Amino acid sequence: MKSLYLLMALILTNSVFAQLDRSQRPAPGAAQKINIPASQVFTTANGITVILSENHKIPKVSIELSLGNTPRLEGSKAGLADFTGSLLMSGTTTRSKDQLDREIDFIGANLSAGSSSMYLSCLTKHLSKGLDLMIDVLYNANFPESEIERIRKQNLSGLQSTKADAGEMASNATRAVNFPNHPLGEIMTEATLQTISREDMLAYYKSTFTPKGSYLVVVGDISRAETEALVQTYFATWQGGPAYQAELGKGQFDKGNRVIFVKKPGAVQSVVYVTFPIDLRAGHKDQLALNVLNGILGGGGFGTRLMQNLREDKAFTYGCYSSLNITENGSWMSAGGNFKNAVTDSAITEILKEFAGIIEAQVRDEELSLTKNNMAGGFARSLERPQTIARFALNTIKQKLAPDYYQNYLQQLEAITKEDVLRVAQQYFTAKNCHIIVVGNEEILSKLLPFDSDGKIEKLDAFGAAIKETRTADISADELIDNYAMALTGTSSKKAAIKKVKAIKSYVRVSEISSAQIPFALSSTDYFWDGSKEASKMEMPGMVLQKSYFDGTSGYTFSMQGGREDLKAEEITAKQKASGLIPELNYKSKGMNYEIKGIENIDGEDCYVLYTTDGESESFDYFSSTSFMKLRTTNLRKMEDELIETTTTFSDYKDINGFKFGHTFSLSVGKMTLSGTVKSIEVNPKEVLPKDF
Amino acid sequence: MKKTILNGLFLLACTSVWAQQKITYDAYDLPNGLHVILHEEHATPIVAVSVLYHVGSKNENPDRTGFAHFFEHLLFEGSAHIGRGEYSELVEKNGGTLNANTSQDRTYYYEVLPSNQLELGLWLESERMLHAKVDIKGIETQRSVVKEEKRQRVDNQPYGSFFTEMFKRVFTSHPYNWAPIGSMEHLDAAQEEDYVNFYKTYYVPSNATLSIAGDINIEQTKKWIAQYFGTIPQGQAINLYRDFISLSDDAFAARYNIQKSQFDTKNFMASSTPEAKKIIGSYLSKPCVIDRPQKDNQAITGVVKDTIYDNIQLPALFMGFKMPNQTHPDSYALEFLNEVLSSGSSSRINKEIVEKRQLAQYAFSFNYGLEDAGIGIMAAIAPKEVALDTLLAAFDAQITGIKSALISEEEFMKVRNKFENDIASSNASIAGIAENLADNHVYYGDANRVNSLLSNYLKVTREDILRVAQTYLTQDQRVILYYLPLEK
Repeated sequence: MKSLYLLMALILTNSVFAQLDRSQRPAPGAAQKINIPASQVFTTANGITVILSENHKIPKVSIELSLGNTPRLEGSKAGLADFTGSLLMSGTTTRSKDQLDREIDFIGANLSAGSSSMYLSCLTKHLSKGLDLMIDVLYNANFPESEIERIRKQNLSGLQSTKADAGEMASNATRAVNFPNHPLGEIMTEATLQTISREDMLAYYKSTFTPKGSYLVVVGDISRAETEALVQTYFATWQGGPAYQAELGKGQFDKGNRVIFVKKPGAVQSVVYVTFPIDLRAGHKDQLALNVLNGILGGGGFGTRLMQNLREDKAFTYGCYSSLNITENGSWMSAGGNFKNAVTDSAITEILKEFAGIIEAQVRDEELSLTKNNMAGGFARSLERPQTIARFALNTIKQKLAPDYYQNYLQQLEAITKEDVLRVAQQYFTAKNCHIIVVGNEEILSKLLPFDSDGKIEKLDAFGAAIKETRTADISADELIDNYAMALTGTSSKKAAIKKVKAIKSYVRVSEISSAQIPFALSSTDYFWDGSKEASKMEMPGMVLQKSYFDGTSGYTFSMQGGREDLKAEEITAKQKASGLIPELNYKSKGMNYEIKGIENIDGEDCYVLYTTDGESESFDYFSSTSFMKLRTTNLRKMEDELIETTTTFSDYKDINGFKFGHTFSLSVGKMTLSGTVKSIEVNPKEVLPKDF
Repeated sequence: MKKTILNGLFLLACTSVWAQQKITYDAYDLPNGLHVILHEEHATPIVAVSVLYHVGSKNENPDRTGFAHFFEHLLFEGSAHIGRGEYSELVEKNGGTLNANTSQDRTYYYEVLPSNQLELGLWLESERMLHAKVDIKGIETQRSVVKEEKRQRVDNQPYGSFFTEMFKRVFTSHPYNWAPIGSMEHLDAAQEEDYVNFYKTYYVPSNATLSIAGDINIEQTKKWIAQYFGTIPQGQAINLYRDFISLSDDAFAARYNIQKSQFDTKNFMASSTPEAKKIIGSYLSKPCVIDRPQKDNQAITGVVKDTIYDNIQLPALFMGFKMPNQTHPDSYALEFLNEVLSSGSSSRINKEIVEKRQLAQYAFSFNYGLEDAGIGIMAAIAPKEVALDTLLAAFDAQITGIKSALISEEEFMKVRNKFENDIASSNASIAGIAENLADNHVYYGDANRVNSLLSNYLKVTREDILRVAQTYLTQDQRVILYYLPLEK
């Protein structure tokens, strides 16, 4: 019997095999119709838009609440929104955290909250219990101090571990560099975390968790009538002010490639992201073509240009991908992966090459159809999840899409041409103005230099903030000051230097000042007399903009906007600590706080860093370690709640009457930069301060 | 199957347990030994095509570790009819997605395609099963890719080595000793011949399960399966054919004592010369035999405690216990036990160790059941200032607690409710259904187990949980690993 069976199997096997030509690839069957069930939308009197997507396959319901605010700039409290979000589930005025946790877990539900959203999912039969818990958190969260401190501590440890996580560091750097002064670019640090108080959280919670402009997305085993009843029971009494709305910037667009390096000691691989912002928002008509472009470059699966080149051809990596992030608050492009140290530079070259390639020439027909088919398939696969249908409805409303956008999605996708793809590549992509983020071992740093357009690699810490490296200085603060005085006077002893300083009783210096942000030239005049007194004025033709005066015991400032203001006692004390032709020489006798911080490399030159604080502000002065000339000063002054940072640079020192005066300088405050050139210096003139000053 | 549980203690718990949604399927074997499972559902016009090969890292030679996972990469390189790199492209350009994964016990490949591309999926998988490209060029490319994967997932990942370090100590006499990623030195040392032999041994229809789920017509699907997979030679004839296409004339003649010219190049199995028929016939009846490792019942000897210095910022504790294999009846109670200990915010470990005492950033416990044995892992990442000894003592207090008294009624009901919720969601995607059916067939010999999961969990009693805690959470027989930051 058995042998007969074997024989039959053999015959069967052979005969079928004979008919099959395996080299023929099967053709697809008739295309299946894609059916997107319609969602139902209604609004409530208190401002909620409810979106319902019914699906009775599984006896579960999910409810997502998405609030109507845009993110805010948080500055010194960066992380407030996230921190608050993570505290929402920490107890309410009616339930302790333990009670809340027990009741949620008991019904097997998932209830979570974020900075501007809440999510509930549970079996249909537990829905009313689930909603009781959800609205308790929504209305009554009470942020207990003990939980705040516990989560703060946990976040601090989390921030610690970020320092070992190359991917996390790279993503922080990407955000910080693409979006400075933008909520997307703000990153929680140990310092910002420490400043966040319970009051901050309550204020955020109160203003953010408001029904106005919010969306309630209901998905699953529930009918329209049940949904309406549920909204009436649980959400009708919810009240609140208008949702926070702000216009957000579009990101940092630069000229030339910038290499940004984050150090990860001991790394065997580098994480590389080549990234830049994109000037459009979710819902823009070019979004679909950009998605196709990204799919061809590296956003799809294995067949993309990046994957084929860097993984399959070069074997540089396990995966090289690109991602296009188009959001309602800002958009950016990023491409990269993990690369072993030895090929990090080659990988960057190849990624930039792929960007350049896709901008220069039309994509191939096969790539286009591959990506479009792939996206069409992804679209079809996504429909398996009921959440997708609800998300479509939400996007249609939030992003003001055509009502039939998703119904027509496949046709629109099909209609995208090679010309469309090239146009968006040229309009939005770049291979020359990229931010090249590298997190890795410092041993590869020198190989990254050629990629940077100005040859200066910026170094960031794990949280996207610029870092300076400081080495210990080999001289004391007083020795530094003496050397500086000798350098300015061209002498070789302190005594000789002081003698020369004394010979200069007064001077008048006139400079011309220009700025890209100011359409006309300014003139500035500085006066110095009696070895310690000083005044200055800045004017444009026919108008004095600012003046200052200080005679050693009193003085004033004058500005066009503010008029004349006398110096306050603290300001006078501070000024007295730094007077004289070379104020540093008088630091010790006048009681200035000063210390040497070490050596830092500034624009390729090693500098001694002298730190001073006069009670009003703090300064960091940078002196060349070879010439001892002062190259730069950074002053930090607190005004109200803001820290104002002013950086002045000095160069082109020239000898006048045996003393070296800097002849060019620049001054930058925030985004404003002024540059100045000295036009004339008169030493020991007959008249110093004009009568009409 | 509607069952009502009455529980006087909790008003809330007056819950009628929802009958698990039944997954229907057809299953049968082809004459060449391939097992086929088909599940039909039409909600979305997509289909998942998957093949599970019953080979994982435990089947590797101890000096050739990493092979099973390596094959997961290599078998995307193409086949006799599919060019290099074309495999994934074919799937993607036809609107599909694909991937694969490797465990200690099996290697799993799948495509999710628009349902009108089912035939393409079958052709692709049958090409892989019949005559994949296993040659030096592909081996070299994928060697580099796998090395990068290891650097990314293990070497450069904080705590990324814990899996390897733990298995090494818990399984000292079983091939679970090494992790699927394996040794890069072994992969380098291996010759093309080693790779070819691995393919010939494990990639045969009798060692595979074809599982298909989604928008299919069963009758049509069966026809295509007969066409693409039924034609794959059975027994050792498949390897005779593979040698025929890959060996040179001389090498083939030397090995089989017959000239290649005796065979039909276009249609090997239909070769008509008597010599060819004879040898094909004899290889068809030679079975493919796979030596599988034995179940591992050996206990850990005493407490194995080690410190590992890693490129991390926060110290961490990992603890490993030997557990029974996944088909053991105690597995359900062990799952239950872990839920009580560490699932959800209200679980014991989270409440006590993370929230109340703040000894850990994250802490969890899970059971990892494998074919020949299981491993129970408890782990926690500590804040910088917490000593790992303190953290260990806190875990021990939890272990002692759950070993000394029945869990509360409330905890018991909570976990039952959670299983009910989880199982309702578990078969939401067709890709998940295909995989669950295949796994249950291979490991439990019963694909239908997907339909009885909930009732299996609901049979567990509080006494069972106490018993498994006492039996398996052996504090005097376990592995304890301390992870500490490398001194910079």
